[in-house]
Amino acid sequence: MATSSASLHRHGHVGGVIEDDHAAYQRMVRMLRIGLWLFIISDGFMFTGLFVSRFYLLGGTRPELSQALGLIVTSVLLASSFYMNRAETLIEHGDREGFLRCTLITIGLGLGFFVGVVFLEWPLAASHIGGPAASAMSSVFFMMTGMHAFHVITGILFLLVIYFNGRRGRYTPQRHWMVEACANYWHFVDVVWIFFYPALYLIGTPVALGH
Amino acid sequence: MDTISESSTKKASAVRKGVIIAVVLAVLTLIEFVVGLVLPNPWILLTLALLKALIVIQFFMHVSRVFAGEGGH
Repeated sequence: MATSSASLHRHGHVGGVIEDDHAAYQRMVRMLRIGLWLFIISDGFMFTGLFVSRFYLLGGTRPELSQALGLIVTSVLLASSFYMNRAETLIEHGDREGFLRCTLITIGLGLGFFVGVVFLEWPLAASHIGGPAASAMSSVFFMMTGMHAFHVITGILFLLVIYFNGRRGRYTPQRHWMVEACANYWHFVDVVWIFFYPALYLIGTPVALGH
Repeated sequence: MDTISESSTKKASAVRKGVIIAVVLAVLTLIEFVVGLVLPNPWILLTLALLKALIVIQFFMHVSRVFAGEGGH
């Protein structure tokens, strides 16, 4: 009897219980949302430290990097944010197929960004400014892009989790907190790159250290 | 029937809003790139970055939900 009652409560099949269940879920989401934003702010401080150290250590110079590649990876990440937003919007409106499709596209674009930075930009940069331990400039560059790439990878893992949960039909227009959390994390990763892109690719005089 | 129609209108409107924001971000990124090549003024570039970040935080991350006082999506 107790199990049956708990089941009815969870699924909200009995009159006023629906209201109670929904109100409890809303309260929980409100708390989780505050927690997520506190995490984002604290992680943001870490990236702010890296951003400030770039200006302290490099001043008016910047590493010699491929401008075309920088613009391409930035555009790819922006596009991924767009598809992430679209995925969240579609699950909010009950379009599960659209949600799954957009989540997969976001994962693909995230992987594209990761490959562009780590497998294409890093070797190019190393040929101009040396490896991570060669100078303050190379340390700053590899630390900023490396820490960001690490967040991209964790974001992709998070996206895979919501994709497979979505395939099992675990999200509804009323209950999809995990999708919202993943979307916010992914957009945060995008916001970090919005500041890192000009700081690394556009501001200052390009310097090649002749390695 | 009306409910279904209303729901699909809301969905189309939300999707369209996402497209508009993405286009604005793309244009700002292009402006940033051109400014970086032609007139690499750090203050202009950081202002553009700040503007883009605020747009993402407001429209993609829905920061206002934190202060909305209700837990709905």
